[in-house]
Amino acid sequence: MKSMKDYSNSINPNWCPGCGHFSVLRAIQIASAKLTIPNEELTIVTGIGCSGRLSGYINAYGFHGIHGRSLPIAQGIKLANKKLTVIAAGGDGDGFAIGLSHTLHAIRRDINITYIVLNNQVYGLTKGHTSPLSGRGFITKSTPYGSTEPPIQPGILALANGATFLAQGFSAFQDQLVDIIVKAIKHTGFSMVNVFSPCVTYNKVNTYQWFRDSLTNLDDITDYKNDDYQSSLNKLVETNGLCTGIIYNKAPDIGSYTNSNLQKPLVELDLKFNKEEFSNIMESFK
Amino acid sequence: MIDELTILVGGIQGEGIISIGINLMKVLSSLGYYTYGQRTFSSRIKGGNTTMIIHVSLEKTMAIPDTIDMMLVLDEETLKDNYHRLDNNGLILYDNILSLKSTLPEKATAIPLPVSKISKEEGSALMKSTCSLGFICRMLDINQKHVSSILIKRFHKKGKKIINQNLQILERVFTYDKETIDQYIKHLNIPMKELNRPLMIGNDSIAFGALMAGCRFVSSYPITPASEIMEYLGKCLPSYGGLMLQVEDEIAAVNMTIGASFAGVRSITATSGPGLSLMLEGIGLAGMTETPLVVVNSQRVGPSTGLPTKHEQSDLFTLYYGGHGEFPLIILSPSTIEDCFHSTIRAFNLAEKFQCPVILLLDLTLSLSPQTIDEFSYEDIVLNRGKLVEESDLRQEAEGVKPYLLTEDGISPRILPGVLNGHHHITGLEHNEFGLPTDNPLNRRLMMEKRMQKLQPLLEEDEIVIRMNNKKNILFLTFGSPYGILERAVAVTGSTVDYGYIKMIKPLPKKQLIQIIKDYDLLVIVENNYSQQLATIIKAEIGNHNKIKSISKYDGTPFTVSEIIDGIEVLINEKYEGL
Repeated sequence: MKSMKDYSNSINPNWCPGCGHFSVLRAIQIASAKLTIPNEELTIVTGIGCSGRLSGYINAYGFHGIHGRSLPIAQGIKLANKKLTVIAAGGDGDGFAIGLSHTLHAIRRDINITYIVLNNQVYGLTKGHTSPLSGRGFITKSTPYGSTEPPIQPGILALANGATFLAQGFSAFQDQLVDIIVKAIKHTGFSMVNVFSPCVTYNKVNTYQWFRDSLTNLDDITDYKNDDYQSSLNKLVETNGLCTGIIYNKAPDIGSYTNSNLQKPLVELDLKFNKEEFSNIMESFK
Repeated sequence: MIDELTILVGGIQGEGIISIGINLMKVLSSLGYYTYGQRTFSSRIKGGNTTMIIHVSLEKTMAIPDTIDMMLVLDEETLKDNYHRLDNNGLILYDNILSLKSTLPEKATAIPLPVSKISKEEGSALMKSTCSLGFICRMLDINQKHVSSILIKRFHKKGKKIINQNLQILERVFTYDKETIDQYIKHLNIPMKELNRPLMIGNDSIAFGALMAGCRFVSSYPITPASEIMEYLGKCLPSYGGLMLQVEDEIAAVNMTIGASFAGVRSITATSGPGLSLMLEGIGLAGMTETPLVVVNSQRVGPSTGLPTKHEQSDLFTLYYGGHGEFPLIILSPSTIEDCFHSTIRAFNLAEKFQCPVILLLDLTLSLSPQTIDEFSYEDIVLNRGKLVEESDLRQEAEGVKPYLLTEDGISPRILPGVLNGHHHITGLEHNEFGLPTDNPLNRRLMMEKRMQKLQPLLEEDEIVIRMNNKKNILFLTFGSPYGILERAVAVTGSTVDYGYIKMIKPLPKKQLIQIIKDYDLLVIVENNYSQQLATIIKAEIGNHNKIKSISKYDGTPFTVSEIIDGIEVLINEKYEGL
């Protein structure tokens, strides 16, 4: 048996007291313990921002890359070694501003990795700038007169683009978040988990209390069917995206690179060709 | 009897002009001749004039001479654009449905041939390329059976009917009007050895080299003139268990390559200028995280979209100085197709040995010009993965693993994900030996020195290949495809000067360059860019501005042989005749 402690290191996160990210970190650690993932097989890839520091706080292989590119790095790692459990994590800016195109392509590529968005609807590490997920009218240093642009709808976007696993969590709903992450990791295609993770310093609108008042918990809806595309979409429209739980879950694309195409992990292939193979290739240029 | 010949084939893009050229080169290469081809093309798929020039010789040549001996013309424009290059004894073969009489140059012999007629009668107008190939080969007195065997190889997937139609066309060509044709046959001397040699473009050689170096993962985004690398590897990697992905952009391409490489698979991405600009942040990430990375950059005319199908060598400053911040980077600059193969294997070895990004710097002409090559040797393929830690070497350390352990040579033991007790963190933030972020000034200084000094051993290596003639004390130095043109120009001018190429530009082989500056009266850098980038870098690194001169060209076309000849003569005169 493994415990959460097996996935913690001694480093004190540099997040503000009360930051929603603590809960996401803990949820990943507990989920890993529940799944008894060997530490050497767990690989966490992060982007840049407050959330990006997460990889440094987990006792596993970690790659803290550049802004917006956690998904290409994570996919590269998984494609190279499909035995690894690969989790990419980043903020809402990482996934829906600078890295949006990677998010869409990772969804449609459906490689077996888990993507956790630590979504606080604001740029915290730059000390308070608007995010593409900030609400209309949201006042920051870069939107002194309020944001004029409507926010991206991450859930609808993901479903519209063919996501095979979509869930949303809330930092204050720790048990549900753990359960979601366990199922996301188990999903054999691309799993996207959007977590409402409040920023206590720079987002005074979307607070813990605001989420408690606004969120619909899908686990409370007994007849909710998360394998029905239309009802999943309807629920997102109905709740304006403000719901938690596993929104959509279907069998992943069998054509995915990590599911069927590769017999052997690439890292285990022989580097060197034999002389006959070399000569055959040489011959093919004649 | 002659030792060499230059043949131009031209027509409307989409008529199979390139395939005439390539098949001609294959026929000649199979008989022991060396060939070198140069194509002109524009950014369109069909329509517009296109030409291919083929040089055939007994000795290996990597340049197209300025004068053309034989032309096969399928449209009017080809003739108009090129007949000024025709030799006095030149021969023009043209499709007799063209009415070219008025524009024909007086000095040349023009022979109308029933190219369209035979093709249509025996198959379709599309088979003009077979008919044209046949006529050229007949003019070179090549046996019909050699041409047939190349065609059978080429069309074997298209079925019996197509093969038979093509062979029937050849039959008609080889029996056509013996009396006329025989008068004009150009007799090439027979090669010493009838070796069947391979034909490749630089991009083939890079892809083949990558495969042999153990590269099993490619993520790339299509771009001229680099796409053939992903195409080739995409086609063959699956049969060896590997994988090629065409991804959303060059940013994803480089970062995915970094991810795969971090996980332990030798990986590559290939691009050109615009893609390189997008990749720079990722290349810096590999530099900072000390992750091995191999990137091919085949240069074309910039900036922006520039002239996307034309030749230039202007990305040197970007690569030498570029990316924000400072990080170690190796630039290998092969000059021949054989070199492309060996440099690629070396690139993978260096990337893992020094744990840093390695750029394979090519140019459009080297990437795309087909050429007969000498076969590579299997024994030359030596792979070295550097300081890779095995699982058995690791024990569970109480304080954790140090991926950035400070060592004497600046290179830390590398542990791949999945290795028991090896888990660790790496980051593009400045980090301590454990790979954890820190802004401690002493640590920053030590880590900077570790990264920036680890390539030191390379400064000592000889990376400049010099061909000595020992007459005039001048060295003409270049990189990439201009080398072949320089070689020919030096030969034409009586081999009075020394010449060579530099195969690693970063780190610059300072020790060797300082010796060169001592040994020669003048060092002349030959390059295709406006700012004389290589000359500027050498001057910045070793001084001696008065002893370093440049010949540069930046109009989108490669040097012609006579341009280099002029350059050589002017500089000799300046230096020794006081003119």
